[in-house]
Amino acid sequence: MTTVKHVPIVKKHKKRFNRHQSDRFKCVDASWRKPKGIDNRVRRRFKGQAAMPKIGYGSNKKTRHMTPSGHKAFLVHNVNDVDLLLMHNHTFAAEISHAVSSRKRIEIVAKAKALGVKVTNPKGRVTTDV
Amino acid sequence: MSYPASSDLLWEITRNNSSFLVKRKTGSGVRLSRDPLNLRNVHSRKHAGAINNQAIGIVPSGKGGISLLTKKKGTGATISQSYKPSKTSRKAYVQIANSTTKKGYRADLREDAISRASALIRSYRKSVKPTKESKPRGSKAKASAASAASADL
Amino acid sequence: MTSVPQIQVFSVEGKADAELPLPDVFKSPIRSDIVQTVHAGMAKNKRQAYAVSVKAGHQTSAESWGTGRAVARIPRVSGGGTHRAGQAAFGNMCRSGRMFAPTKVWRRWHVKINLNQKRFATASAIAASASQPLVLSRGHRISTTPSIPLVVSSSSFPDLAKTRAAVALLKAVGAYTDVVKVTKSKKLRAGKGKLRGRRHRQRRGPLVIYDPATDGKVLSKAFRNIPGVETCPVTALNLLQLAPGGHLGRFVIWSSDAFKALDTIYGTSTSPSGTKKDYSLPSAQVTNADIGRLINSSEIQSVVRAVKGSAKSKRAGGQKKNPLKNKQVLLRLNPYAKGYADAKLGQTKYKEGKPVRANATFHDVLSTA
Repeated sequence: MTTVKHVPIVKKHKKRFNRHQSDRFKCVDASWRKPKGIDNRVRRRFKGQAAMPKIGYGSNKKTRHMTPSGHKAFLVHNVNDVDLLLMHNHTFAAEISHAVSSRKRIEIVAKAKALGVKVTNPKGRVTTDV
Repeated sequence: MSYPASSDLLWEITRNNSSFLVKRKTGSGVRLSRDPLNLRNVHSRKHAGAINNQAIGIVPSGKGGISLLTKKKGTGATISQSYKPSKTSRKAYVQIANSTTKKGYRADLREDAISRASALIRSYRKSVKPTKESKPRGSKAKASAASAASADL
Repeated sequence: MTSVPQIQVFSVEGKADAELPLPDVFKSPIRSDIVQTVHAGMAKNKRQAYAVSVKAGHQTSAESWGTGRAVARIPRVSGGGTHRAGQAAFGNMCRSGRMFAPTKVWRRWHVKINLNQKRFATASAIAASASQPLVLSRGHRISTTPSIPLVVSSSSFPDLAKTRAAVALLKAVGAYTDVVKVTKSKKLRAGKGKLRGRRHRQRRGPLVIYDPATDGKVLSKAFRNIPGVETCPVTALNLLQLAPGGHLGRFVIWSSDAFKALDTIYGTSTSPSGTKKDYSLPSAQVTNADIGRLINSSEIQSVVRAVKGSAKSKRAGGQKKNPLKNKQVLLRLNPYAKGYADAKLGQTKYKEGKPVRANATFHDVLSTA
C-alpha cells in the first residue's frame, strides 16, 4: 500500500478562500465570489486584505489531488470497483461512496485488504463513536 | 470499408463511450476499464482488450487459481487457460510468458501480464501482518487517557 | 473484393448447420457521428408539445409605482385590502410571477432528417451490430454466443408462437445471458417519470430481426414478454432499436431469411437497392482503416525518408558532473590538478612568504595549451 516516490506535496495556501465580508454578515456565504465593486479593497489588493485565489496557488501537477499518503482517491460503490484498483494500489486509494451500507462496506474493506488497496474511509458506518 | 472493422476505428468509436469505461471526476479524472482482457485496467489503446485483435487477460479462477485469457484468431472469442494454485508462483509466470510472448503474441504485454498474475496470487495469500492498531493522537489521545484513568479509580 | 465472408446459420437447437454469405450492408462505414446526430433527431420526433399557460403570471393589473417610493420599479399589484396589493408581479424573479421565457407550444419539437442520412445511419448501425467488440462495448453479454452476427435458421420462426419456445431458442443460441442481464437491471426510475408511465428503467437485450414475408409475425408475440427483447421486421429497421441511445453495437439476432433479404433491401456494393428508390450503399472514404498496416505497407515505407539524426536522449553526453566535486572529471579538465594537490599548493600559507612565481616554461605551456 506504499506509494511510489513522489516530489514533496506543497500546498501553497492551506486555508480556505472565504468570500469577502462573509465574516461580518450571516447572509454572506463563505463560498468564494470574486469581489467586483469599484471601490472594493480586496479586489484592489490593499495591504492587509484577504488574498484572492489565483492560478499561481495551484499545486504541482505531479502532486495534484494527492492525499498526504501519496494516493489519489478513487470512489468505489461496490466490490467490483475495488477490483479495478488491483494494479493501481500504489497510486490510488479506494474511497467508499457515501450511500453504501455497512454490510457492503465490510465486504469492500475485506476485498481491498486482500488486494492491498488502501481505503481512505474504512471506518465509516462500521464503527460508531460514542 | 473492410469487414471486420479495424481496431484503430473501433478504438476511436469506443474510446469515449464504452460499457467497460469507468470515469471518475475525483483523482484527476481517471479513466479505468473493466475489460477482463485489460491487464492494467487502464482505458487506453494499448490495453483495451475488446478492440485489439490480440489481447491478454489474467483473471482469478475458482479457488486461488488464475486463468489466462487470450483471443481466438478471426472470431475474437476469448480462450481461457487456467493455472491451478501452486507453491511456486514462478511456474505460472513462465507458463504465461511461454504461451504468449514466446509465441510472438503481444510481447509488449508480458511485463503487465506477469505483474497482474503476481498481484492476483499475492491477493490470495493471507496477510501475515495484522492490522496495526491506530494510536490516538491529540485530543483523542487525551480523551482515551482520561477514560482509562477514570476506569482505574 | 476477395472472398465473401461466410456466416454460420444456427438451428433452433443451437447447432451450426448452414452458411450464408455476408450481405454487403455489413461493410458500410461505421460512422458513430452520423448515427448519433440521426438518432438525436429521430428521438425527438415522438415528442408531444407542452407549455405553461400563456396567462400564467399575468392575471393581475399590476403597474409600476415608478421612482420616489423607495421600492424597486417592478410592477406592483394595485388596490388594497388584501396582502396581494403592493406585491411585485409579472417578473420572473417575483413570487407568482411568470416564468422566464415561458415555454410555447410552437417550440420546434420535431427534426427533419435527410432520408439519405437516415439510411446511412441505419446501414452504419447494421454494420456495427456485426462487430463483436462494439457489441461488447455496448454492454451486451455475448460470451456464450457462438458468433456475431448471430443468424438463426428461419425454418422454425413461422410456428414460434409460445414464449417458452422463444426462451428455449434464446438459450440455445447463447443469447439468454443478455436477457438475464436485463432482468437484473430493472430499477425504479428516479424522478417524476415514475408517475408518468415510465416507472422502471432497464437495459436493452437482443433485437430479433425477422422477415415478415416468410417468418410471419407470430414470433413477435412469442418474444414480447421477454424482458429487453425486441422484434423488428427487416423491411422496416429502426435506428432507435439498432443503436439505442445513439450507441452503436446492438446485439441482433437475425432470422436467416431476414439476413438474406438484406442484399435486396439495401443493395450490394455493385447493385442498387431493390426496395429503396435510387439508393445504393454508402462507401467508405478510407478503404483501409488499419493504421498500423498502412504505415508498415511497402508502398508507404518505400517513400518515407530516413530518420534524421541519431536517436536522442535527454542527456546526450551522459550525466553532467561537477568538476569541483568529482576528481576524475577535474583531472580530465585540468591535468595539473594532481600536481597542485600533491604539492599542497592550495594549503600554502600566505605567511610563509609570497608563493614562488612559476618559471617561464610553465607560462609557455599555459599560453600554448
